[in-house]
Amino acid sequence: MRVKVVTKILEANERIASENRKIFDTAGLFVINLMSGPGAGKTSLLERTITPASGLRIGVIEGDIAGSDDAERVVRCGAPVVQINTGGACHLDANMIYEVLNDLPLQDLDLLIIENVGNLVCPAEFNLGEHMKVMVLSIAEGHDKPLKYPLMFQESSALILNKLDLAPYLDVDVEKIRRDALLLNPNLRIFEVSCRTGQGLTDWLAWLKEQIPVQR
Amino acid sequence: MHELSIAQHIIEIISDACHKGGYSRIESVNLRIGRASGILPDALLFAFDAIKTDSIASNAVLHIEEVPVSGRCSECMSEFVVHEDYILFCPHCGGSSFGMIAGREMDIIDMEVS
Repeated sequence: MRVKVVTKILEANERIASENRKIFDTAGLFVINLMSGPGAGKTSLLERTITPASGLRIGVIEGDIAGSDDAERVVRCGAPVVQINTGGACHLDANMIYEVLNDLPLQDLDLLIIENVGNLVCPAEFNLGEHMKVMVLSIAEGHDKPLKYPLMFQESSALILNKLDLAPYLDVDVEKIRRDALLLNPNLRIFEVSCRTGQGLTDWLAWLKEQIPVQR
Repeated sequence: MHELSIAQHIIEIISDACHKGGYSRIESVNLRIGRASGILPDALLFAFDAIKTDSIASNAVLHIEEVPVSGRCSECMSEFVVHEDYILFCPHCGGSSFGMIAGREMDIIDMEVS
């Protein structure tokens, strides 16, 4: 006998993601899902973003397959942080976020940044309930990345091109990264920065602050 | 890349539907998977067969219908199917501002039970 099922395979994730979103909105909290490949500079960007100059009260959820090195770096910046170890899973899902929300002072924060597992593919597939996805690409990863890993570029509202200070030592064509990323996502906002030298970060922080009242 | 966790979700959903309907086994399942969903059909079939053994779906065969990517141009409003899965150009006006209207599906449609 044939029976109808008509269910989205990720329906359970979507349901929990909308629960998360309700919790964020009730707390008046803006939430970013921060994604990149391993080593692009997500945690370095956090260290440069969690500063008194930002004027924002920021909390962090750190997603890693194993270890707590990133969480320790964020703690040193003075932000409340929760570490999730996925134990092998290549991405965070909505339920992992839901389970740790009680461990953060949500009412006392303006912005929650969820640092996803370093991976250019899977994190873009799973809605966590965030208001916005932001991705980091270090220029050392090469100019072929937008066309090889299109989904993350399409899903993100902003692209942080990091490690600009390495440009003189690399054969990378930064203009091609910009061109291909905009081809995939004409609305993408691109920032060229170096988290090592601090170059370009003022523009990122100014834009970030603008987003928060707009989305809330 | 995460076909195994997708296969686990499928087994949970269909086992649940099977138990609720009072059926004893699942013969086959029909899925619709978009070409831009990030799911490789062969990897999904492999993962499903690997983990179905101890479930009510242990004899189930998975059938996957692939859905091509299509978009709607924001400038001239025409709809088009693309063959490059991710880069969408309007074939009518050349515009690159578009909305994707199909190609991200990951749906279970129906199943054969007994």
